[in-house]
This record gives sequence, structure tokens and C-alpha cells, in this order.
Amino acid sequence: MSTVSVRYIVDDVDAAIAFYRDQLGFTELMHPDPAFAMLTQGDLRLVLVAPVPGGHPGGGSRPMPDGTQQRPGGWNRFMLEVADLEATAGKLRAAGIRFRNDIVTGIGTKQVMIEDPSGNPVELFESLRPEARLGSGAPRASA
Amino acid sequence: MASDPLDALRLPVVPVVPRPGFAAALLRQIAAAETLGTGPAEGRANQAALRDNPTVRYFVDDLGAAIAFYRGRLGFEEELVSVPGFAMLYRGGLRLLLSVPGVRGAGAPLPDGSVPRPGGWNRITLEVTDITGTVEVLRAAGVPIRADVSVGVAVRQALIEDPSGNLVELIEPAAGYRERT
Repeated sequence: MSTVSVRYIVDDVDAAIAFYRDQLGFTELMHPDPAFAMLTQGDLRLVLVAPVPGGHPGGGSRPMPDGTQQRPGGWNRFMLEVADLEATAGKLRAAGIRFRNDIVTGIGTKQVMIEDPSGNPVELFESLRPEARLGSGAPRASA
Repeated sequence: MASDPLDALRLPVVPVVPRPGFAAALLRQIAAAETLGTGPAEGRANQAALRDNPTVRYFVDDLGAAIAFYRGRLGFEEELVSVPGFAMLYRGGLRLLLSVPGVRGAGAPLPDGSVPRPGGWNRITLEVTDITGTVEVLRAAGVPIRADVSVGVAVRQALIEDPSGNLVELIEPAAGYRERT
């Protein structure tokens, strides 16, 4: 069951579905409207929405009260843990996926940022220390 | 009383400080392992994507203000803080990483010189039980409300901002709507 939900703004919902499904292993749960789709991977629910006009029934991507349109991009992102970052990155590069940077080695992880077709970032990481692994943060909890 | 010769072999007594964060993390680890049907690490090494606590990274200008906001206003638990540039918080199954732009690691500039910054429209979505009441409490506390409560297809929703201007979406499922599994 998806317990965590993230909303990404995309220009083209169909292109985004193909990217997240084919390149990152997401499953499509629903796509009831051209401007809306819900995907899932593990406990993450990813809601993809294209900007819609003010009167559209779907409320997640309407303009703000001041008229500002929502759009893709920015730096905030969800992260996916992979077992072998080099291998995953190589496969994505070969598939023509855009990268914002090369693999960076941080304190607890190696990480790299890729972009979906609308330019939204997704961070891929590989744990270098047990406490960086998802769901096993216990050893650092008292730090 | 005569001293016990075995005393020399006993381990020293260490005072135990309550560590609720440790216990919470341990329970999460156990729950995740049960969900997966495997141990925390074993048996998953060959999967392309490891499936565990979903993680989101937000960039914030002021780490302390951000931690206070997510803990005090939205019910996150603090797991780890590494001043000056990084914190790890939890809320339910969500792990939220806060990174400060310009600090090494995730905040470091990219090869083209661009530096990460807060903002944008992509966001986490948090479910609440009384969205109108929640938004009123937040508004009264001075939290910026980017978009007031509106009605969507299956949810009512609102957008609030953290102290750095990052969006957080609050949703309340409409009557009759339940999360599909």
C-alpha cells in the first residue's frame, strides 16, 4: 500500500508515465484524465499532473489564486535507492536520459540526479553505510 | 561485604538514556522488513530499485527554521541533524531530507555552476483528517498559505509553504474515497 505521496508537475503526462514506468520501474495505477496519472513504486505514490485551467475539476494543478501557473522543475525531488548506481546510471545514459550531474560521493551515499522528460529531477542513490539505507536508520537515531 | 572475584569480569554499568528516536527507527525497520518479507538488506541486492521508506529531498535556506516547522507544525520526527547543512526527518513512512544549498554533498553546486535552491511546484502530499481546521491552525500560526482549501476530484486540498518557500500539499480524502492498495 502506498503510504507516501509526491506530486510532480509535468508538461506531458503520457511521456512522464512512459519515463517513470519504463526507466524507473513504476507501475501505473490510474490515468483517468489527460492531465492526471497516479503511479506507484513500493510505498511511494507518484502523482503526475499537467497544468490545467482554473475551472478544471482536478484541483492539484490549477493556477494559484493570483493566476500563477504551476510548472515543472526546481530542485526538490524524491529519491530512489538502487543497489548498483554505476550500472543503473550507465543503463539510463544509454537510454538517452538526461543527467544533471555525474555521480557524487557524499558521506553516506553515492548519488546522481537525472531528469524526467519535463525536466523534473529524480535522485538515485546507493548506500555506502548501513545507516543510510532506507528503513535502517536506527544506528544514527541517537546521534 | 567481600568483593566478588567475578566483579573484575563483569561489564561496566552504562547509564541508559531514553532514545525514543532509536526505538521508532527500529520499529520502522522491522515493519519495513515484514512488508518486504525479507531482512533489511538481504535478498534485495539484485533489485534495480530497492523499495523501502520513500525519501524526498527538500532544499532549505535555514536548517533550524525548517526543522522547527516540520516538527512543530506538521508532526515530523527528527532522526538526525548534521549542522550546518543536513537533517533527516520522518513522518509515517516518509523520510524527508533537508539540505542547505551551498553545503557540500547534495547542496554542492553542479558541474555547470548552478546551485540548488528551495522552491518549485513539486511537493510532498500529507493527508490530514480535518483540512479546514488544519489550515486555520497553520494560518493562525503565521504559516504562509499558498492556496486555500479547494475541492478536487477525490480530495480537498491546500498548499502551504515552509519557511524557505517550499510547498507542502495537504489533502483530505472526500467522503467515500479510500486509498486503494
